[in-house]
Parts: sequence; structure tokens; C-alpha cells
Amino acid sequence: MKEYRWEELTIGLQARFEVTLAQSMMDSFLSLSGDINPLHSDPDYARAAGYSQAVAFGMLTSAFYSQMVGVHLPGRRALLHGIDIDFRSPAFVGDVLTVSAEIVQLNDAYRRANLKARIVNQKGTLISSAKIRAGVRE
Amino acid sequence: MSTEKIIGELQPIFRDVLDLPTLQLRADSNASNVEGWDSLAHINLVMAVENHYKVKFALGELQELKNVGEMAELITRKLKA
Repeated sequence: MKEYRWEELTIGLQARFEVTLAQSMMDSFLSLSGDINPLHSDPDYARAAGYSQAVAFGMLTSAFYSQMVGVHLPGRRALLHGIDIDFRSPAFVGDVLTVSAEIVQLNDAYRRANLKARIVNQKGTLISSAKIRAGVRE
Repeated sequence: MSTEKIIGELQPIFRDVLDLPTLQLRADSNASNVEGWDSLAHINLVMAVENHYKVKFALGELQELKNVGEMAELITRKLKA
């Protein structure tokens, strides 16, 4: 886990990690969210809707933005203030997702870092993009 | 640049950040009379304003501001500096 101090953060600082989307993640997310929409759990339903298989929950993939902030950039001292997410393409179980982020604005007065972030799959397809607002605790 | 002109420029920024598309910003607008202007929104507003004018506010400067008019005056001083 990274543990950037406020003074160590700079515009342009980046972080990146990979994660493989597993069926167990889908099962866990369905259980905790209660989102029983068959698009995410019924392959036949998903195929009838035009997808190759069940579509991953958008908010599941977005959970990796939480890991980005809390573990990687800025890491342990982070407190997530807000996040705006645009879902660009569907993700599926088995996809290898690359989650990346970069600091684009810093505010010393309130120790707030704004980041732009994105998730792409193994083909380079953009899954989602996000604007993240994170405070940095002392 | 006049304070009135700055307030006119701040209005779309405040509308966007606070998600208040019909907000009419005035010199005496502040957190107590504008819906949704809480502490987190305040940080968002300050950073949006800093980004727009390419200026930086010190914490002391921000703590002295009583309303949008004073923010506009502070911006005017920074743009002249």
C-alpha cells in the first residue's frame, strides 16, 4: 500500500494496476448490492440483449477506483470525497482490466487532490473514465 | 476586470458545481443562502475557480471570505498581481 504524504504529491503523478474480473466478484457484488437484474447474472438473457455473456456490474468495475484511491494514489492517507464516472463499454468476467489514474489538480488549502482515472480492458477498450476527488489526511 | 464581471463569470461555475442551473449569483451570496453550499461543495467550488482563473488561494485568504463579492474582489487582486 502506498502512503503518499501531501507534500509528496505532484501534478502528473500516476498509478496503475491490473485486475482480472472474476465470477466470484460478480457473485459477491450481486449479494451485497441486491442488483438481481438478469443482464448481470443470466447469460441467455444477456445474449438475447445483444451481449456475448452476462455484463459485469458497472459499479463493480468502479469499485476498483476505490482501490486506486485508498491503496495506490494517494493511498493510506486518502479520504474519498467524490467521484464522477462515465461507463463507456461493457466489461465481462475474464477481462483483464487496467486501472490507471493521474493527479490533475492539487489544493494546498484543503489538501485535496483531483485525479482523472480510467479503466481499459485487455484489448485497450475504454470501460469507464472517472474524475476523482480525494482528500489527503495528515 | 470588475467585481461584477467576475461574479458573472463565477455564475456558470457555481451552477455547474452545485448543480443549480438557475442559480442567480449575487455579491452577497454565501454558504448560508445558497442551497447545497456545504463544506465539500466549498472545496469543489474553490478548486473549480482556481482552475478557471489559474490562480491559487491560501487557506488564510479563503477563511476571510464572507461572500461571493469578496471572492470576486480577491480574484481581481490576484489577476492584477
